[in-house]
Amino acid sequence: MTVQINFDSSWQNEFLHRIEEDGPWGSWELYKLAIEVENHTIIPEFEGLQAPKHLSSLIPLPHQLEVAKQVVENMNGKAILADEVGLGKTIEAGLILKEYMIRGLVKKVLILVPASLVTQWAIELNSKFFIPAIAQRKSYVWEQCDVVVSSIDTAKRNPHKDIIYNQDYDLVIIDEAHKLKNNKTKNYEFVQKLKKKFCLLLTATPIQNRISEIFNLVSLLKPGHLGNEADFYEKYQKDSRSLDDNEYLKELVNKVMIRNRRADTGIEWTKRNVETLPIEFSKEERELYEAVTNLRGDGNWMSSSQFSVMTLQREACSSREAVFFTLRNMLQKKEEPTKEYQDKILYLITKVEEVQKNAKAEKALELIKQINDKVIIFTEYRATQMYLQWFLKQHGITSVPFRGGFRRGKKDWMRELFQKNAQVLIATEAGGEGINLQFCNHIINFDLPWNPMRLEQRIGRIHRLGQEKDVNIYNFAIKDTVEEHVLKLLYEKIHLFEKVIGDLDDILTKLDFGNIDDHLIDIFGKSSSEGEMRIKMDNLTSMIQFAEEMKAGEQRAATGNSAFS
Amino acid sequence: MNSVQQQEIQHFLERYFHANYCEMIESGPGYLTVQLTIELDKQLMNRPFYWHYLEKTGGIPNPLQLTMITNPEAAPKALKGETIHFGSPRLHQIFESTKKLAGYIRLYEKHKNTFGQQTPLRPWLGMNVRISYQCDRKRDVFRSIGLQLINGQMVEGFHDKLLELELTPKIPDYSFTLSPLIMPKSGMIRIQHFLQNEIDKEDHTWAEEATARWEKDLNLLEHFYKEMEEKEESYEIEKTALKEQYEPRINISIINGGLFYLTENAFQRSIVS
Repeated sequence: MTVQINFDSSWQNEFLHRIEEDGPWGSWELYKLAIEVENHTIIPEFEGLQAPKHLSSLIPLPHQLEVAKQVVENMNGKAILADEVGLGKTIEAGLILKEYMIRGLVKKVLILVPASLVTQWAIELNSKFFIPAIAQRKSYVWEQCDVVVSSIDTAKRNPHKDIIYNQDYDLVIIDEAHKLKNNKTKNYEFVQKLKKKFCLLLTATPIQNRISEIFNLVSLLKPGHLGNEADFYEKYQKDSRSLDDNEYLKELVNKVMIRNRRADTGIEWTKRNVETLPIEFSKEERELYEAVTNLRGDGNWMSSSQFSVMTLQREACSSREAVFFTLRNMLQKKEEPTKEYQDKILYLITKVEEVQKNAKAEKALELIKQINDKVIIFTEYRATQMYLQWFLKQHGITSVPFRGGFRRGKKDWMRELFQKNAQVLIATEAGGEGINLQFCNHIINFDLPWNPMRLEQRIGRIHRLGQEKDVNIYNFAIKDTVEEHVLKLLYEKIHLFEKVIGDLDDILTKLDFGNIDDHLIDIFGKSSSEGEMRIKMDNLTSMIQFAEEMKAGEQRAATGNSAFS
Repeated sequence: MNSVQQQEIQHFLERYFHANYCEMIESGPGYLTVQLTIELDKQLMNRPFYWHYLEKTGGIPNPLQLTMITNPEAAPKALKGETIHFGSPRLHQIFESTKKLAGYIRLYEKHKNTFGQQTPLRPWLGMNVRISYQCDRKRDVFRSIGLQLINGQMVEGFHDKLLELELTPKIPDYSFTLSPLIMPKSGMIRIQHFLQNEIDKEDHTWAEEATARWEKDLNLLEHFYKEMEEKEESYEIEKTALKEQYEPRINISIINGGLFYLTENAFQRSIVS
């Protein structure tokens, strides 16, 4: 085979020019040095990693080096890096980027990360990898700088978008790529249209609920690798219970995805201590909760509303402020409310006003004093977040709020304040991703998300590489409420806490399982009696157990011991 | 840090700054401080505004001093300076500067012929090249070719052979240069053709494999979009990107080179000795 050869002619023209002008000529010593430099920097082999030799302060872990090598040598520079939270996906991406830059295969790079991580990515690439990455702040940066870090929300908006579409990127890196699981979104379309030679998608949760998510991710990376949309759904959704098909799918996916589990890495992780703290409502809180619960029996006026009883119940387990906020919205947003509707809400508001203390907040205060160290409190509700900040301040405890909606600079600043000046960080759900807080080792889950993946993301903020202490997680649940049911189902019955999320991925993939949130809303929101709720819950549990058994059986079969076990 | 490598870096830096006429203010185990010349300050310190301002106002130039630490353990604790290691941007900047400063050269062999006898020196064209084999991966090969511009003799490993000789930028006494029969321009073309022929004869399995990978991904892409009546914009983008990613190509770039006037038996002598 003949290969196209390009001969650089710029040197020749200049040489002829210098002959004509009789110089200037370089010094022999420098000429020799230049050749020594050349022999030192030349890379005679296609294989192997050069990057580690170029890093002075960073010693990558074996699994990180292995990932980088795999991606460059066997995956042609297009991969989903799907290590579990905290194993150093950023380091892996940095190694790959560095390798390509050293080899001169990559020059122009776009790195899209959550807004709160933009600065951190730029700092890490500069300090650990000596890559001159720039955090995008001005629009000329897209054209003039080679390695740019930005949030996807900024990048997809004009005028940025149009400039970006005109760039030919050698490498595009996307952190928290599971946000691209839906191919109907603007973000997805934006990424799909980027000109990219190599591409890395980073996510700890490549499949959160449905296998279609992995189809969309892979199709972004390597369109057609899993067939086209029609093929894929014909093959996998209908027959997704069939193991053979899934094995094949798994194999295909593994060609473009690398996933290390904590257990595989051989690293000694600090321990995770999970403690569930059952909390008793005060009398008034209980009354509010019951009043909200009774709405379900009150005819069907709630069903036409966008607010569910379920939401109110969960809020009642968090704070009266959260309930009040929703109630007020219900009043304001309802068009032409009936007198009955208004009365009902006003009645509930009086119930809210009767509540004088927050049992969970009291417990949190007690715990924080006892811990006497930095603590992160997660809550789902902003109203609760604000209340807690006020409450802690009343008791002389410093805290800072953290929300996904904060601007990048503010997030960095809050993180810094927490590290240096405050004892407590109070984060809402959206703040769970994209911030690293290894210097803290206590988490209070003031209320619980229903999707266990989200819980893993929360814990992953502190239980990651660089955490030196054991990590303590305190789950608050109010006794005899929907919250306790959820906790029982998710976090005790299925032992999800101790499990790595990866196991759940498999389970969800094997079954045509649907969205776990939907199941839970169905169970807790639509059941008309405790009895119905229990039956549905048992069904769900046995489905999951069934999947686990299948998995166990499969493993035995794979090791060839099935006949003897 | 690898201490052998760090020593090599220290040695390299000393030679680089010496060759650029920079005064060595201080040096010791693991560190060195140099006074930059105006020339090097402009190349390395990235302060164009200062130099622009100075030229406009006619002030007295004040080039900076640069302290580099090649081994933090050996260097004095309190010393402030840039830590230089393999992979640090400063070192690579200096690497680039070295190549830039020594791209073109003309040298004469310093022979020991005496007795006032006139010695003829033959012109050679020397070129040091990097050949990069590139697809989605890349490897490089260094080659050094010399071409005698009178009889067309071609020599491989030319640079190593030059290292055996004593060379000087000024024509030595009692010497004269012979005029080339092959002009430098056609000499360069000869070297280019020589390299191309050599490369054509090589085993290009790597390129075949890359092309196979390319075709495979291209087939997947076609399949992905096959049921769409009008292919989306992203199809074309992907297709171009695949070409960029996989298409095998070989780039030959010249590191440096020049004219060398050598005695008739310059290389024979070096072989004998």
